[in-house]
Amino acid sequence: MKQILLLVFGFVLLASPAQAQSTAEPPPSQTGPFSGYMDFHFNKPEGLPGELDFHRFVLLFHHSFSPRVRFVGELEVEHAFVEGLEDAGELELEQAYVDFLLSRSFNVRAGMMLVPIGIINERHEPPVYNGVERPFVDTVIVPSTWFEGGAGIHGEIGRGLRYRVFVMAPLNALEFNADEGIREGRQKGSRANVRNFATTGRAEYVGIPGLTVGASFWTGDSSFEAPRLDATVHIGEADARYQRDRLELRAQFAQVAIRDAGRLNDAIQGLTGISPNVARALRGFYAEAGYRVWNQGSPRDLVAFVRYENFDTQYRMPSGFQRLPQFDRDAIVAGATYYPDPDIALKFDYVRLRSQSQIVRNTNTVNVGLGWWF
Amino acid sequence: MVVLMRVAGTLGTLAIGLVMFGSAAPGGQAERRAIKISAERFAFSPSRIELTTGEEVDVRLRSDDTSHGFRIVGADGVTVNIAIPKRGKGEISVPLRIDKPGTYRFECSRMCGAGHDFMRGEIVVKDRTADAVDKERR
Repeated sequence: MKQILLLVFGFVLLASPAQAQSTAEPPPSQTGPFSGYMDFHFNKPEGLPGELDFHRFVLLFHHSFSPRVRFVGELEVEHAFVEGLEDAGELELEQAYVDFLLSRSFNVRAGMMLVPIGIINERHEPPVYNGVERPFVDTVIVPSTWFEGGAGIHGEIGRGLRYRVFVMAPLNALEFNADEGIREGRQKGSRANVRNFATTGRAEYVGIPGLTVGASFWTGDSSFEAPRLDATVHIGEADARYQRDRLELRAQFAQVAIRDAGRLNDAIQGLTGISPNVARALRGFYAEAGYRVWNQGSPRDLVAFVRYENFDTQYRMPSGFQRLPQFDRDAIVAGATYYPDPDIALKFDYVRLRSQSQIVRNTNTVNVGLGWWF
Repeated sequence: MVVLMRVAGTLGTLAIGLVMFGSAAPGGQAERRAIKISAERFAFSPSRIELTTGEEVDVRLRSDDTSHGFRIVGADGVTVNIAIPKRGKGEISVPLRIDKPGTYRFECSRMCGAGHDFMRGEIVVKDRTADAVDKERR
C-alpha cells in the first residue's frame, strides 16, 4: 500500500509543473505549433541607394514520433519573393531529418541536415550573433547556410565533449568561382549527385561554463561532373566562443583546399568559355569582441561590438593562374545589438570593407536589421 | 487492488524513480543542495550531474538566451517537464529526489533553434550505500 501511495503521490506531483519553485516572472509569451525566425534588413552602401530586404522568413517544425524518434524541419523563404533565380529569392528546405536518439553518446540522424562547420552554420538565429548580416567568413569561406542530404551519428562523450560525423552529398566543383569560392557548389539536397560522398564532422567542447571550443572538417571529391579530375575539397575549421559577465568573445578560422584546381579551371573554361580563376586554397578568419553595455535583462539589454574579418578566396593559386588582389579582403564591422526582448534583436552596424586591389572601389555600408525568434 | 499492486510492483517503488517534491523545504528542514544549470543554444552547462539515491536537491535553471525547457526522461516517458524563462527573467527551481540508481536523460523540451536536439544531458544517480563505501575507501 505504501508503494501505491508513493506512486500516486509521485504522478500527481509530476503532473503539476507549477510545483516547481520559481524566482522567475510568469512567461508572457506563448509559442504555437511552429517555431521560426525572421530577418528584416535595411542596407545602405555608400554612394548607392538603400535597400529594404525581408531577408529570411524561416519556419521550423518539430514532431516526436516517440521520446527517442523525432523529426525536425526548417523551411526558408529568402528575399521574400521566389522567381526562379537566386537573386530574386529562394525557397529552401534547409533541414528535414529524423533523429534516432539512442543514447547520450550515440545517436543516428538522416535526411536534410546542416553541415556541422563553424559557429554560424548550425547556430544562425538572428538574436545569437551580432551584426545585421552574417560574417563574411561564414558566407564565402564557410558557405552558410550550408545544408545537404545525408546521414550520420552524433552524441556527447565524456564531460562536455560532443561530436557529429555525417556522410553527405559532395560539392559540385564546376560551380566554384573566384569571388565566392565554393559557395555556388552546394547541391542543396536537390537531386544531388552522389557519385562520391563527402564526409564531415565536428568536435566541440562545452565543459567549461561560458566557453565553447570547436573544430570541424569536410572532405569530399567534388568532380563528379568531370570524372577525369580529382577536385577533392578539404576544409579545416576551428572556432571558440567565450562569455563572462558582460564580455562576449568569439573567433573563427577556416581554410579550404581544392585539389587539381588548375585542371578544374581548364575544364570550366572548356564548358563556359571563361576561366573562373578558382584558387587551390581559400582562407578566412575573424575575431569579435562584444560588451553588454546594459546588462539588466530586457528591455535594458544592449551589446556593443566590433569584429575584424580577413578573408581571401584566392589565398593560394594553382600554377599558371594569376592571384587577383580584389579577392584578398578584410572588413571591420562595428555596431550594436539591442534586445527589447531576449528573442528580438534590433541591430545596427557600420561595415568598412577593403580589398588589396588598387582598382576595385572599397565599400562602406550602413546596415539596420530587425530579427526575431519565436 | 491486486491489479494496482501489480502495477506498482511492475513500476517499482516509483521505480521509474523520479520524485518531484511539491514545495520548497519549509523552515526547520535541512537546506537542500543546489545544482545550478545554465541553458544556452544548444547546450546545458553542466550537462552531467550526479546524485545519490534519496538525496534531495534543488535543480536551479536559468537561460542565457531564449526560453528553453527542462524535461527528465524516465524509463516510462516524461516525468518532469518545465519551462526555463528567457534570459534576464529569473531562474526556475525544480526540487528533485531520485530513489532508484541509474542514469536518467534530461533534455530541452522547447524548440529553441536548429540545434535543439543536441541539447541534452544526464543525471547519474549512485546508490547511497555504495557511494558512502567508495568515499570511505578513498
